[in-house]
Amino acid sequence: MSYRERMQRLELLLGEAVINLEQLKELVFHGLPGDGSARPLVWRLLLNYLPASREEWGPFLAKKRTNYGNFVADLLQPCCAAEEAADAAEEADHPLNPNPDSRWQQFFRDNEVLLQIDKDVRRLLPEIAFFQSATKYPCEQIVSGAMARLHERVGYVSLQAGSIVKRGIGLITKTSTGTSSSSSDGGCRPNNKGGESHWEVVERILFVYAKLNPGQSYVQGMNEIMGPLYYVLATDADEEWARWAEADTFYIFTHLMGEVRDFFIRSLDNSTSGIRRMMEILMRRVGGRDTQVARLLAQQEIHPQYYAFRWITLLLSQEFPLPDVLRIWDSLLADRKRFDFLVDLCCAMIIHVRGELLSGDFATNMKLLQNYPPIDVRDILALASTFSEKGVVAE
Amino acid sequence: MTIVCERKRGGDYLYHLGRNSYCSSVARKKGAKCSVSQAAELVLVLGDLHIPHRIATLPAKFRKLLSPGRIQHILCTGNLCTRESFDYLKTVAADVHVVRGDFDDNLSYPEQKVVTVGQFRIGLCHGHQIVPWGDPDALAIVQRQLDVDILITGHTHKFEAYEHENKFYINPGSGTGAYHPLEKFVIPSFVLMDIQSSTVVTYVYQLIDNEVKVERIEFKK
Repeated sequence: MSYRERMQRLELLLGEAVINLEQLKELVFHGLPGDGSARPLVWRLLLNYLPASREEWGPFLAKKRTNYGNFVADLLQPCCAAEEAADAAEEADHPLNPNPDSRWQQFFRDNEVLLQIDKDVRRLLPEIAFFQSATKYPCEQIVSGAMARLHERVGYVSLQAGSIVKRGIGLITKTSTGTSSSSSDGGCRPNNKGGESHWEVVERILFVYAKLNPGQSYVQGMNEIMGPLYYVLATDADEEWARWAEADTFYIFTHLMGEVRDFFIRSLDNSTSGIRRMMEILMRRVGGRDTQVARLLAQQEIHPQYYAFRWITLLLSQEFPLPDVLRIWDSLLADRKRFDFLVDLCCAMIIHVRGELLSGDFATNMKLLQNYPPIDVRDILALASTFSEKGVVAE
Repeated sequence: MTIVCERKRGGDYLYHLGRNSYCSSVARKKGAKCSVSQAAELVLVLGDLHIPHRIATLPAKFRKLLSPGRIQHILCTGNLCTRESFDYLKTVAADVHVVRGDFDDNLSYPEQKVVTVGQFRIGLCHGHQIVPWGDPDALAIVQRQLDVDILITGHTHKFEAYEHENKFYINPGSGTGAYHPLEKFVIPSFVLMDIQSSTVVTYVYQLIDNEVKVERIEFKK
């Protein structure tokens, strides 16, 4: 199929009243044609967020988005919602309450999670300026000052203080010493009044997710998965869609996490869907396709934990620059057996550098795999798709 | 003495609390909004520890409550008295403000300090300079001199909190319950302030019969 044909086919598929997801997957798997303007919509569809029938979109989206608004209002400002119920207990509760049911105790536990999120989102995709810039659609309650910014909860601020010195007959001199300063703002000062940076939005989404999934809470790395999703949705050329990037990102992130959640739960590491099992499959596939490399890796004791752990858990979002990540994710998300292709892709990455691997020793090989060299991702994708077409060999 | 006591009996105290009746008449507003505010700034107020001269250590129950990571700022009314006590406070919160008491080893602490938290200006002074000790009129003079919304003093080893002419006065008492020549029974106590935009919710912790009692007092600007 020529490029132009694929363009037309995409438009045709997206224009239908009931979108054929199977055909869409097949098309997008080989790369999204066009300038990527369709990507936000396609990803929403691929991650099963939007229903297939176009008619349902309006009410469905409206409902989901108000829901998210309620989540934010409830979870970020629990005091007003739970106020009446807690009124009776309020007298007994106090900030240093050691009782685990205490609302203050809960508040401090949330702060620990938030502190981790805050550290991570501030350094999200540092190679692009996007996350440090102001968003066009900030949360209204925050801009109006009705709600405090999340990172203010955990930021360290020293108070403005002045000491008073008296001399002689009661002349008073006030000397201002320490000025109010915030330590954690290094480099990415949030937009004050009237705006919000993109990373603050991402922080809010992650916090809401952590609050709604207490069993899993927040694990480092989720921010890296959130990054490309939010970037794609928030840079939508269509204002109507971009306006709701925050709520929609939350939902597609939840859908995506539903599938890769097991990588993030330590107790499931050894289960059939856990990370260790994925790495085992990867090594077996490498062995089936290139015995020489597999033997070398085993010989030099370069375990997949050292490099493939990050590749798989973060869906390769850390290995390549953002535009390449988007292209890779098109294929990953359009994969029928989702994330089977991811293993093939990792396999292709190893085999792609086999020449260097075979000539290198432990140290250089480890460095090579942990710091994957910049290459044209199309080569790897092409190699990986030949693997998946051939099917599972010698497994 | 730098502060001359100005005698003025106007009977203008809105709430002046006696020794043991502090919580009965204070402006307590039940059902106050937002007990856990999202940008809660917790300020610990304590002082008159007198470690190690008059007492060995903070009560164990207090130490247990004061776990690190919760409190952002500490305002200390002085008489710590040693470097070790100051270091301990530093482990509870990073931002510690101290004024000099009459028994402090460190002479470089200032006599008085004014700290700004949110919309509130808070004056801090040990209180041995203000005679008569703990006298509301005398304290009111200092409040006017410093031009503060909340004045925190110590020295009397007796907890007090009252509102006077729309200003708030706090004496956190002695954190350790150390001996005081004018007090027969000293109750260990400290104060925790939750400062929101225009309200201060004050929690008073007292160790009575080896049980920690907590009281809640609210002050609005």
